[in-house]
Amino acid sequence: MEPKEVLDELKTILATRLKFDPRRASETTMETPLPKGVEGSIGLDSLDFIELSIAIEERFGIVIDESEDLTEHFACFDALCRYIVSRVASA
Amino acid sequence: MTSVVVSGLGVMSPFGAGVKAYWNGLVAGACAIRPVTLIATEGFRCRIAAEVPERIAGSPRRSRADRLALAAAREALADAGLGREERAEAALIVGAVGGGMLEAEGWYWSRFAGERPKHTRELRSTLPLSHAAVLGSALGLGGPRETLVTACSSGAASLAIAADLIAAREAPVALAGGVDALTRICFMGFNALRLLDPEPCRPFDRDRRGMSIGEGAAFVVLEDGARARARGARVYAELCGYGMTTDAFHVTSPHPAGEGMVRAMRAALERGRLAPGAVGYANAHGTATPQNDRIEARALREVFGEGRLLVSSTKSMIGHTMAAAGALEAVATVQALGHEVIPPTANHTTPDPEVAFDCVPRVAREAAVEFAISNSFGFGGQNVTLLFGRAER
Amino acid sequence: MRVVLTGVGVVTPGVAGGRGELAAALRGHAPRGGSRVAADALASLIAGDEARRLSRVCQLAVAAGRLALADAGRAGADGLGMILGTEFGDLASTLTFVDGYLRRGPQGLSALLFPNTVMNAMAATATIAVGARELSLTLNAPTVAGDLAVARAASLIRAGRLEAALAGGVDELDPLVDEVLGAMGAGDELRGEGAAFVVLEAEDAARARGARVLGELAGAASRALPARVGGVGRRATSRAIGAALEQAGLGTGDIGHVFTSASDDGQRNRWEEALLEAALAPHRPPRTSLATRVGRHAGAGPLAVAAAALGAAASGPALVHAVARGGTHVAMIVRRP
Repeated sequence: MEPKEVLDELKTILATRLKFDPRRASETTMETPLPKGVEGSIGLDSLDFIELSIAIEERFGIVIDESEDLTEHFACFDALCRYIVSRVASA
Repeated sequence: MTSVVVSGLGVMSPFGAGVKAYWNGLVAGACAIRPVTLIATEGFRCRIAAEVPERIAGSPRRSRADRLALAAAREALADAGLGREERAEAALIVGAVGGGMLEAEGWYWSRFAGERPKHTRELRSTLPLSHAAVLGSALGLGGPRETLVTACSSGAASLAIAADLIAAREAPVALAGGVDALTRICFMGFNALRLLDPEPCRPFDRDRRGMSIGEGAAFVVLEDGARARARGARVYAELCGYGMTTDAFHVTSPHPAGEGMVRAMRAALERGRLAPGAVGYANAHGTATPQNDRIEARALREVFGEGRLLVSSTKSMIGHTMAAAGALEAVATVQALGHEVIPPTANHTTPDPEVAFDCVPRVAREAAVEFAISNSFGFGGQNVTLLFGRAER
Repeated sequence: MRVVLTGVGVVTPGVAGGRGELAAALRGHAPRGGSRVAADALASLIAGDEARRLSRVCQLAVAAGRLALADAGRAGADGLGMILGTEFGDLASTLTFVDGYLRRGPQGLSALLFPNTVMNAMAATATIAVGARELSLTLNAPTVAGDLAVARAASLIRAGRLEAALAGGVDELDPLVDEVLGAMGAGDELRGEGAAFVVLEAEDAARARGARVLGELAGAASRALPARVGGVGRRATSRAIGAALEQAGLGTGDIGHVFTSASDDGQRNRWEEALLEAALAPHRPPRTSLATRVGRHAGAGPLAVAAAALGAAASGPALVHAVARGGTHVAMIVRRP
């Protein structure tokens, strides 16, 4: 699976599970940061991150260990896509 | 100024029926958190909870939560020795969240499975308001009647508002408390939020990993102090003050500095006209989530300073009983004052350097304390602190 | 401490605004119950980014809360508490949350929806939206939840526990919820939807900031009459009306108008009428029921309080009364400031 394909799936998750306006979700790029408060970010808070994690687990069949520090992997979509690709490969 | 006293106690807890079973369990430091039996838990990370163990008295046509509430309420009224005429003026304030949802879920689940569930439990026993309707009608309580929903602090909020009613002379006496039965929605929701520990919870422990869910009910009789003494009632403790605040910060996360918690504790002290140093024990909200315990410990330190104050979490033994928690923990606090014994924090083995308090690990402590607080915090940043004083000071 | 009413905020089908909009709607023909607040009307009150995380019933509450504070001209939320009544809460989100699990298992559970399964969701989101940091309470009751919320807020202010409060009620109509309620055996009483708040303040604080005072909430009391669960009682002695009148320092003859909770539940209407007759005899001031127009929902009581304040100059002191099946009843006295 390629990071680009993962991004497309994440855009779908943003619109369906996180209830973003579909146009806003589709404008997401690899460079878009995730966390609320970061310049140019899509603006996710702690609860959004949990929802996103559940959706990723469901869609990609992986388990995200929340006891691990995930800040880096959830900083922007590029990092998140690469994280998901590596987890899917090792699963 | 009117003093508000506690003159009756009633409990249904994971230690069984009655205040005595509850207090004995707490003092023994026993942990009632076990594999769930009431609902299916396949596929969930956490599969344990603290259930009320025995058959609960009352008509099976009533919801489990209504039966829990009724049993605890009856014990409290009998304990206070309130007669028919006194009950006719008594206020009833119930903290509730899940209502009769356990039974409604059963109905909805079978309907989803394509069955035609014949037993349609009535809608009015599903909503939180059901408990007040059932208790009010069965026990003949004719004063103001309110059902409060402030999420996980509902049980504590009910005591606070009942105290206000008495102080404002809206009613001379009140039955106040909280109730929740285990529900699928609650169990699934906290699993989804990843806030549950697969093992029994370990409040304030360095290695804590989340909360455990529990169920139960607790009611207390609150009364004008002069009136209670005049009728020769047994006074367990005085409810000296309370603080209720809102974080206005986030729906599920507490304010990172515990700002609303600090204001709630300070407001309770101010109402009770007490300095922080007068308080010897805090029955903490202490859910055992990494976040709650860190922030609560920080807020406690800001109000009371490091050390000295004894802090323990009842949830280490009976789990988080949701809308019942604040009321069950108020009973634990009142009993601690009266018996001069501080219930421990079970499952607490490794101190957390961020928690600057003696958490009374695993073994109850004899300590004569004059004043104690009970903290309850809920989703939506709903903070309640109750301040109790020993009856004979 | 006198309690005054300084603001009104309403979002119901066809009405969104403060005292002016409500007064206009009361003169005209407010839509019948059974209809919903139009999607575009709600969208114009809650912007996209905020709407993403707010369920529909939370949007109604947040929008009406903001309109009420704007109507009151209160810039900040210092000293502000929130007391909100609801009968059904956010059942729509609760059902969606459960359906996620039933259709897809644990991974179909939405973390975002879970907080909405607790009835304080509307008060919680509204306190965050307006920055109210004093106590926040959600009251759950049949029929009288909004009335209880206003009465509780008035008592808290009178006792000096709060300086000001947003007090109101909210319920929504949702097709999914209606279907399930129907299957569970809900009655066919006409329900409505909407959110309505009043801003109550301690008179000193309101005068000090030069607020436009609409009326005084001079008395408020609630009691429970003997009745079966979900039933109407036989007794027709309302101790709440007497207590509210006493607090206001008024007699039965001073009441110029009565707002009742009458809806299309005939049995309950007859009970309320008997209560009012017994409490006010030999006087028989004219009655108005808003619930017969807007349908039964927790916002109807606060709407009646606001309507009573708007009309008090002409009618004299008004009694706002409501009684629920099961026996909880509320009486409030509203008069010109």
